[in-house]
Amino acid sequence: MYKKINHYLRAIWAENIKEWKIELTYKADFVRGMIDPLVYVLPYLLYGIALVGGRTSESLEKLTGTGDLITFVTLGYIFIGFLNMALWAMGFSLRKEQYWGTLESVFAAPVPRWVYALGMAAHSTMHQGLMISLQLIVISIVFKLSVNMGGIVPSLGVVGVMLIALYGLGMMIASLTLIFKQGWLISEALSSLIMIITPIAYPLAVLPVFMQKAAMALPTTYGILTVRHFLIGEKMGFSVGTSFLRLAILCVLWVVFGLIVFAFIDKRTRRSGTLAHY
Amino acid sequence: MNIVLDNVVKKFKRGKGLRKHYITACDHVSFTIEQGELFGLLGPNGAGKTTLVRCIATLLIPDEGKITIFGKDIIYQSMEARQQIGLLTSGERTLYWKLTGKDNLKFFAALYGLAGKERDKRIDYLMELLDLKDVESERVEKYSSGMKQKISLARALLHDPKILLLDEPTLGLDPQFSRFIRGFIKDELVGKGGKTVLLTTHYMDEADELCERIAFINKGKIVNIKSPAEYKDEIPHTEVLELRCQGNVNEEKLRTALSSIKSVEKVSLINKENDLALKVIASRVESILSDVIELVRGEAKILAIDVKEPTLEDVFIYLTGTSLKEDTREEQPDALE
Ligand SMILES: Nc1ncnc2c1ncn2[C@@H]1O[C@H](COP(=O)(O)OP(=O)(O)OP(=O)(O)O)[C@@H](O)[C@H]1O
Ligand SMILES: [Mg+2]
Repeated sequence: MYKKINHYLRAIWAENIKEWKIELTYKADFVRGMIDPLVYVLPYLLYGIALVGGRTSESLEKLTGTGDLITFVTLGYIFIGFLNMALWAMGFSLRKEQYWGTLESVFAAPVPRWVYALGMAAHSTMHQGLMISLQLIVISIVFKLSVNMGGIVPSLGVVGVMLIALYGLGMMIASLTLIFKQGWLISEALSSLIMIITPIAYPLAVLPVFMQKAAMALPTTYGILTVRHFLIGEKMGFSVGTSFLRLAILCVLWVVFGLIVFAFIDKRTRRSGTLAHY
Repeated sequence: MNIVLDNVVKKFKRGKGLRKHYITACDHVSFTIEQGELFGLLGPNGAGKTTLVRCIATLLIPDEGKITIFGKDIIYQSMEARQQIGLLTSGERTLYWKLTGKDNLKFFAALYGLAGKERDKRIDYLMELLDLKDVESERVEKYSSGMKQKISLARALLHDPKILLLDEPTLGLDPQFSRFIRGFIKDELVGKGGKTVLLTTHYMDEADELCERIAFINKGKIVNIKSPAEYKDEIPHTEVLELRCQGNVNEEKLRTALSSIKSVEKVSLINKENDLALKVIASRVESILSDVIELVRGEAKILAIDVKEPTLEDVFIYLTGTSLKEDTREEQPDALE
């Protein structure tokens, strides 16, 4: 038992290290990956300032209880990074291995499939964690973000739970890419959908009611709202406890769903013999 | 008993809608490989060799039948089975090309539960054994095909498995590497290591040189299982007439005409872009020579004629009517929908 756990933990770690090593062989891409998000977000922020005529907005204050536009948007924006990680980095991990031709070698090893999934998750978390920290540092230097320091630790807790839910989604997509040639369309569609209904750069209240309802089924919504609540006092319309509870439920649902789809498709590809094809 | 296959059937779906049909890649395959045996699967392209290997390696689920490895069922006890298997898949792209040879091995070692000093020692040992020390810190993309094959072999051996599944281990390698790999399999793996090896190939000299027993496989079916010597005894008192010709021939017509010559046993005909390789197996070539030449001359230009003792390949033709050099694959499938 102990030996097995040890074995699996090592496999998870090795998967993470392997991903880093491969990523770092594409140095230019790696650096671009770090800088790109900043290039995207800075114009947004400047646009916001120009529009409002300063960094505080009264109407935002009315809707959310906090008027600091820059901090509000920045905190929402970092969640795009988490989302991308689940939809693209994790979602395409198996397809990538399939394309490289390494998937069969990996799947022939005596480790259950979910161990690879965890390995990818570990890597994604570290990679994204690094990128987001970098973005936060640069943005705080440029714009002087002011957050409630005491909220940082609980925020990390929220993000942690949300990530688990997103990994469920990532796993589901990862397995779907093994049977659909156009797998990226799924990621693309989901990404657009989630980005629209998750209150990244705007408060939930500005969305039409049916979209607000839909947003309540997304872990990213709770992630963003609760983190902003902890850090800049955004009013959520429900308590922190409710948020955690719903997030936990979503987490279980998405992970179980992801695992089921993964197991189902794994079996299916082993029957149809499409594992090795690209 | 080490590896037991019992009535294994594997079918693949092809086409869609009206064109949908199934092809049987493995058709009720049964055999047993004993501990320490070097067992060969010999058959042409598309015979179903890789499919069988994938089934044993737990990468494919058979539609029917049962496979056990040391008594472990490959479906219900797949983890235990995998721990016993070292797999060398055919094709070059089974390693991470962007990583060094050593980093590849480190990664796979972790998947097989190796760590720390034990792992490093094992990797060093294998690198030494396969003569890869000089290139271990180079990225695999820089390796030659032969070196890639060697490092794949090292990967298959990381966890010191009792069983090795080697799918066309010398395919596309130059003679020097082929010789090395063959020697390694025979002397190191089976000789010193006492491993059980299942080797697939469509090179008859490879099977002849290495294997204690060979299963002939054609169109998914096991035709026969014997030792190379026993196979050659299958067709005593026969000779093989080989012709190389040029020209566009009607294959079916020529085959039928040749087969109807008295005392002709089997005919194999491979036609590639005007290049025709013809084999006629007969009890006495001398007596049919003029008839054969007469028939062929009307259709194509004869470039060379040779009379030979039957080889393993000729036995294969004799038993199956198919040459090992033929391509019996169905049109390649569209992988994803
Ligand atoms: N995943 C798959 N999906 C559909 N058909 C397949 C699949 N794998 C193999 N086949 C078909 O099954 C038959 C047997 O193929 P297999 O690859 O097992 O043959 P092989 O003996 O290994 O030949 P080769 O020398 O080409 O490697 C072929 O007709 C092949 O096209
Ligand atoms: Mg094959």
